[in-house]
Formats: sequence, structure tokens, C-alpha cells
Amino acid sequence: MIHLAKEDIRHTLGKFIVTAMGVGMLLGIVLIMIGVYRGMIVDAEVLLNDLNVDLWIVQEGTLGPFAEASRVHDDLQYTIRSFQGIEKSGIITFQNIQLPKKKSKIRVFAVGYDVYGSISPINPARLTSGRPLKTDHYEIVVTDKTGFSLHDKIQLGRNIYTVVGITHGTVSSGGDLLVYISIKDAQELQFSYSNKRIQTDRARGIVNRDTHMVNAVIATVLPGYDTETVARNIHKWQHKSVYTKDRQRAVLTKYVVEKASKQIGMFTAILVIVATIIISLIIYTMTLEKMKEISIMKLMGLPNSMIVRMIVEETLLLGILAFIFGNIFSHLIYSKFPKRVVLEIPDAWILFGVVVVASIAASFVGVKKVINADPASAIGG
Amino acid sequence: MNKKIAIRAENLCKSFGDGDSLVEVIKNASFTINKGELIALIAPSGGGKTTLLMMIGCVEEPTSGKIRLGDETVYDDKWLTRETRKIRREKIGFIFQAHYLIPFLNIIDNLTLLPQANKIDEKTAKKKAEELLHYFGIADKAKAMPSQLSGGQNQRVAIARALVNNPQIILADEPTAALDMQRSVDVVKMLKQIAEEQEVAIIMVTHDDRMLPYCDRIMKIKNMATVFE
Ligand SMILES: Nc1ncnc2c1ncn2[C@@H]1O[C@H](COP(=O)(O)OP(=O)(O)OP(=O)(O)O)[C@@H](O)[C@H]1O
Ligand SMILES: [Mg+2]
Repeated sequence: MIHLAKEDIRHTLGKFIVTAMGVGMLLGIVLIMIGVYRGMIVDAEVLLNDLNVDLWIVQEGTLGPFAEASRVHDDLQYTIRSFQGIEKSGIITFQNIQLPKKKSKIRVFAVGYDVYGSISPINPARLTSGRPLKTDHYEIVVTDKTGFSLHDKIQLGRNIYTVVGITHGTVSSGGDLLVYISIKDAQELQFSYSNKRIQTDRARGIVNRDTHMVNAVIATVLPGYDTETVARNIHKWQHKSVYTKDRQRAVLTKYVVEKASKQIGMFTAILVIVATIIISLIIYTMTLEKMKEISIMKLMGLPNSMIVRMIVEETLLLGILAFIFGNIFSHLIYSKFPKRVVLEIPDAWILFGVVVVASIAASFVGVKKVINADPASAIGG
Repeated sequence: MNKKIAIRAENLCKSFGDGDSLVEVIKNASFTINKGELIALIAPSGGGKTTLLMMIGCVEEPTSGKIRLGDETVYDDKWLTRETRKIRREKIGFIFQAHYLIPFLNIIDNLTLLPQANKIDEKTAKKKAEELLHYFGIADKAKAMPSQLSGGQNQRVAIARALVNNPQIILADEPTAALDMQRSVDVVKMLKQIAEEQEVAIIMVTHDDRMLPYCDRIMKIKNMATVFE
């Protein structure tokens, strides 16, 4: 059996492969885009997973600290602890701060936690050197990408902090680098971050700022108790919004990741469309180059199906080859991106499906050309 | 019905365009060609030779008239079959001035492509193709690409291709125009031999009077109709 597509490709192999590589790079970028999105999701959940608590108790009517401002009194943790089914409770603050570094500043996300409490946001597995915070004041744990090393001194507000621990791979839900400070320091920083702010606050008549506020109370549930039930119970008696870990994760995905996913989804869709158009154009020119042969085949009496099959198979092969090159390309370059890029096999398979469908669509332009070709034109009128 | 008839045309007409731009090319052409005959078709340039061949070959649709190929009437003021292409691939062989081989297929594949479309099994098709290559003295080129053969060799492959589906009719449009005198005579002799041996009707368009002695009859287009000399 003569395989027209195979023979034609063999005849112009070099050109075909170079073309596939070009399209492959485009598909590689698509894979990287999806990888950036996946990386964003992983990053977004680092803190949530490291804390690994069952319940988030936040200001009534708010979505919790990952999505919007929430303030609760730190005393609430004791009240929560008295609820049936609660094992441990703690308090936590989140704030963006600037760390002075050499002549510039780096923006980080500071997590404040109760150093003497029973819940720590620092995942021991991520601590590469040093230790967690031990005292209430002027100690800081930073993530390695901030560039600080153990025992470095950092000026924050009016005080000098000492780096006591280094973590690896910790970022906030927004992708900012994480640092950890004590809840006391966090409350003070939030309150006395700048004198200017105190002045403006006073000018507005806000005199007595309560420094005993935190962003959320967190708690774990005793084994044998249903988390949802405990959550409902707290909500009923305390008039606070209560989220389970899963619902907090859903909030994260919805409010933090969704926008990013739309953005990246748009880019990905555009790239896929561009790739389809490019494949179409390539197939169109490849078909045009063969018009003479196609007319001859039609004149000799070859059925359209044989010729159409050649075009469709060539397009599919181009798409599949480009997909393979795209995978190789993306795996070669993904680690060089500054933010986390996660390449996942199921995503690649979805793209494969899209490429197959796109290729078939792209082949239509060539197929149309074949069907309309006039066999009499083969011999030049 | 005469079993010897290969092609019969009755009052065949062909015009292009309409209204003021109407161009009549063939008008009331009627002729009969028998199996085994080699016919030379001559007319001045623009006389309608290619047009006539393309109508008989079921490529170009006539304006009116009747065409019978063998015992099948294929055109009677309209195509009587929706699949003119099937008629072409089963009954007709085409040869042109240029060889028009498929450049990305080797010689043997160029020859077996049409039998493959006719659902002839691969072995039989290959055997037939090899026989033809042998007959034309180019058996050693079976695996070569058309670009590796000389013009004369490629033209012989093209003739072999026109024969590979055992056609009843071969339509040859200036098959020798690109060849030198000696090769042209060889090709025409070959066509004559094929016509006789395989009972094929061949219409050959030519501008070269030196080829005429090898043909059985000479058909001319005069006043848009066909006449035999
Ligand atoms: N598709 C077409 N549309 C309009 N006119 C056409 C078309 N095909 C052929 N003609 C006209 O029909 C006439 C006959 O053309 P044809 O190609 O049959 O001549 P020919 O005898 O083969 O000439 P040549 O010896 O130059 O090959 C010419 O006047 C040509 O312009
Ligand atoms: Mg002509």
C-alpha cells in the first residue's frame, strides 16, 4: 500500500521537521502557561497546607484573610477553645511588609503567630536551617529566596530583628515571599508601622487603636467530631464566619486563583488559536505546493478520499510532532522561570486533544482546496 | 451493437462562456473509433484538440451531444453517472506532453497508485507495473524517484502509468512534443504496438507530420467538427 502522506513527508522531511519544531515552540509556551497557572495554585495553598488547621474563624461576613480584610479579637481563641469538639486554637495575622535590603526594599508577606501557642504555620519540613521563633520579640524566620541568611539583622519599624530560621519554598497565596514573626511583633508593626499613619489616624479621630486584633482564629477539631457541625455551632454562638479547610481552599481558588486563571486561560486560548491558524496556513501552503500533483491525481481518477486523507494525515502528523517538540521544549526551559512552573501530564494530554482537534480543523483549508481543484487545470488548459 | 467500437461521439458540442463572450470550440462532432486503432488528432493551435480529448476523457463536460465509451453511454446531454472519475480510473489512460509523475513517489509507486485506487491487490498491481517497466526497458529504475530519471525515461514511465489499469482508451495529448525525433518515433511505434496487442483505442494529438505514417487514421478538426482523412 502506498501511503501518500508518508511518502510526501519523506520527500520534504527536513522542512517538515523544522516547521513542526516551530509550531512545537508555540505549543511549548502553551504548556508553560498552564504550568505557571498550576504553580500559582500550588503556591496559593502553601500556607493553608502548612498550617493544616480544620477551622478558620474570621470576622462575620468576610471570606477570611486569604480573600479580604478580617479582624477579630485575639481573646476569641479562648472562647473557641471552650467549644465542644475543639482540640487546639490559635491566632494568626497576615500583612504585607517591606524588608530593607541593602539600598532597596523587598516586599514580603509576614505571618504573625503565637510563639507559645500550639499551632505553628512553620512546616518543619520546609525549615532548611535555624529554628522556629522562640521568643516574643524581634526574631524573624525568612524564606531563602529573600536572600537573607541566618543571624542577619533586619530593621523593621523601630526595632532590629534577627533571622533565626530559613525556610524553603514558602510563598503567600499571592506568590509573595513569606516571613514569620511573633504575633506581638505583628500587632505592633501593624499598629506602629509608621508615625505618619498614627498622625493621620489621630487627625481622623481614631485615637485608641486596639492592638489586640488578629486576622483569624484558627483551630483544630478533636478526632471523632464532625468539622462541619463544630463550624456551624461556632457560627451560631459567636456570630463569626467559620470556614473549614476545604471551604477556605475553595475561597482561595475562587478569589485568588480565579482571576489569574482567567488571565492565563485567555493567553492559552489565544496561543492555541494562533497555533491553529499557523498550522492552517502551513497546510494551506503545503497543499498549494502540491496543487499540480493533486490535479493530476484527480485527472487520473483517484478518488478525493485518497487525496483528502493525505492532507488530513499530514496535518495530524504535523500537530502531533509539534506537540512532542512542545513537550521537550517546555521541559527544557520551565526551571528557568522565576516563579513556580508545574508541568502536569493530564494538562499535556488535554493539550494533545486540543492539538488533534485543531489540526483536523486546520486541514479543512487544504481539503477544501483539494475538493475545488479542477483536474483540467493539471495540463494547463 | 458493434463490439469493436471503443469511442463513439454524436453531435458533440462544446462552447465556453455565454452571451457576448460565448466561444464555440467543438460543434456537432460525430465519429467512431474502434478498438486497436491509433488515431492521430491534428488541428491548428487553439483548434480544440485538448478540449475534445478532455470531453472524451470525462474531464470536461460537453455542452451537448452524446458520448459512448465501449458499451457504456456516459454522456447524453448530461453525465449519466455522478462518478466520472470512476470511469477515468477504470477505462482511460492519459498521457501528456510533460510526464506529470508524482514527484514524491518513486517509479513503482507512481505506477501502482491507480491500481490501488481501483482496489486491485498490491501483488497483482506490482507485478503488472514491473512487467510494464520491463517492457519499456527501465526495470532497473523501479525504486528511483522521477527527478532521478531523464525526460525520455520519465515519459516512458508516464506511458506505462497510462497502461497500468488496462484501459480501453488512451488519450495522449502531444506525448512526443518534448522528445527528439528518434524517441518520438519510438514512442509512437510503441503506442501502435500497444493499440494492436491490447485492443486499446488511442487518440494521439500531434503537431509532427512525421508521426502520421505510424498511425492508422488521421482525424482533423475542421470548422469545429471532426473529419477523417
Ligand atoms: N476553460 C476554458 N475557458 C474558455 N475558453 C477555453 C477554455 N479551455 C479552452 N478554451 C478555448 O478553447 C479553444 C480550444 O482550446 P484547446 O486547448 O482545446 O486547443 P488545442 O487545440 O489543444 O490547442 P494547442 O494546440 O495550443 O494545445 C481555445 O480557443 C481556448 O482559448
Ligand atoms: Mg492542447
